[in-house]
Amino acid sequence: MNAARSGITPIAWLIAPSALLFALFFFLPMGLMAMISLLTGNPVVQPNVDFTTKYYRRILDDIYYFEVIWTTLRIGLLTTLAALLIGYPLAHLMARVRGRTAYAMLMMAVLTPMLTGIVVRTFAWMALLSDKGAINQALIGLGLISKPRPLMYNEFSIVLGLTHIYVPYMVLTLVGVIGRIDERLEHAAQNLGASPLRAFLEVTLPLSLPGILAGSLLVFALAISAYVTPILMGGFQIMTLPMLIYQQISSSFNVGFAAALGMVLLTISLVLVIAYNRILGLVSGQRDLQ
Amino acid sequence: MITAPFTPRRTLRPGRFCYLALNVAVVIFLLAPIAIVFVFALNPTPYIQFPPVGVSLRWFEKFFASRDFMNALWLSLEVAAMTTIAATLFGASAALALARGGLPGSRVITAIMLSPLMLPAILTGLALFQSYVLLDVGRPLWGLVLGHTLVSIPYVVRTTLAVLQNFDTRLEEAACNLGAGPLRTYFEVTLPLTKPGVMAGAVFAFIVSFDQFPVSLFLVSPGRETLPITLFNYLKFDLDGTIGAASVVSILLAVLVVFGLDRTVGLRSYAKL
Repeated sequence: MNAARSGITPIAWLIAPSALLFALFFFLPMGLMAMISLLTGNPVVQPNVDFTTKYYRRILDDIYYFEVIWTTLRIGLLTTLAALLIGYPLAHLMARVRGRTAYAMLMMAVLTPMLTGIVVRTFAWMALLSDKGAINQALIGLGLISKPRPLMYNEFSIVLGLTHIYVPYMVLTLVGVIGRIDERLEHAAQNLGASPLRAFLEVTLPLSLPGILAGSLLVFALAISAYVTPILMGGFQIMTLPMLIYQQISSSFNVGFAAALGMVLLTISLVLVIAYNRILGLVSGQRDLQ
Repeated sequence: MITAPFTPRRTLRPGRFCYLALNVAVVIFLLAPIAIVFVFALNPTPYIQFPPVGVSLRWFEKFFASRDFMNALWLSLEVAAMTTIAATLFGASAALALARGGLPGSRVITAIMLSPLMLPAILTGLALFQSYVLLDVGRPLWGLVLGHTLVSIPYVVRTTLAVLQNFDTRLEEAACNLGAGPLRTYFEVTLPLTKPGVMAGAVFAFIVSFDQFPVSLFLVSPGRETLPITLFNYLKFDLDGTIGAASVVSILLAVLVVFGLDRTVGLRSYAKL
């Protein structure tokens, strides 16, 4: 934004600690993970270590792993879509509301769940949906059903739980973008005869596309790496990539295979980030990630 | 959208009604699960009953009497405090360098600094864990704090950058023109104006660390686990009010944080992230 500035100032050195931190503890570990996924063992403690592609072949040879990857992506997509549909109206209202109190209350409604924690919120949904949970107990109490209905342990409950967890991220991303769109543009469209809905669809919605993309990418990235909710809400019935990765470490200590699966997840995420940046470039010329 | 002078304010057109009804539904969707946690925590029976049969604090007693939960709570607070300090120092200085350092390729560096936000956090945990295994260092506490710091830095960078990019650089130039050196300008102009962003980032870092699950999953050592991990392990086998009580305690902590945030930096600036 500060285009007038040019030339390196001494302040630039302040990047050094972070650069070192990222190099040593972010990029080096990711590189090591790539290496481990191609080695037969740990070269530090084992003498005869060779290169191998067996972990990747194992993923490619077994349709089961494709199903796991597809399930993960599907849950991510459904969650993103749901979070967008639920989050957009709320973000729009927050960006347009005039009263300070109304805004603060809406903000509280968004932040309170966000600050409540993933495990706690998953627990909340279990308390609502389980056989002895609030919904089943209430329905039985009212005499509407005689036996508890199975509301949990399916893909829907996973997506429901994840949507609740990640909607606030979508809302916060969108509020900033929608708030920066000049409201007078929509008024102008309305004064020229467009209905409020049409004015929204043809003016505000297209202008908020960068926010939609940013929010969607964030929610998707968070949803495909979720671990707690798929396990607890899916009851180990539905396997996702993060669950599989942790299982490989915790129960079989298969570090190499976990690394290969990690590389798959990393590749998916990188492809997404790059595609997102391309699309964003097309949509908005040159605009920042934020 | 209806307060423009040309369109007279009509109360509740059908479209407007749907819009507001939808938003009420979303807010209920967001808050109902939190409300149910309170019911669950105060319910004397180990499962939810409708209508509730009474109010009891037995689950809170059980939570505060549990050595496992208390150890986990303290470890979480300890790790979150260290993470907050580290992430704020690294993140705020990096943001300052990016905004004022005139670095070539600062856009790319910014994207890199924000990348732990976009890449699955479970990978950060996995990659660090595998490095520790490879280097044979075990699962040290600093390793856990490091993992938390990496995923917290983006929040500090974002909030600080947002403030730095929004405030008028002419204020700094004015200070320079009035005779202040670069250091004095920094400490008396830039730093005070950046404070809200850094503070918001610090609060974010604390919350991200306190609630961190995917990174901790691989990096905690058995027997020395953070609160989210302990809660998760408990939830796998039990669904009783103790979790409700633990949840209420962490919710109250969170509300306290938001309240403190509103008092120090204001919710408006918090929202602009």
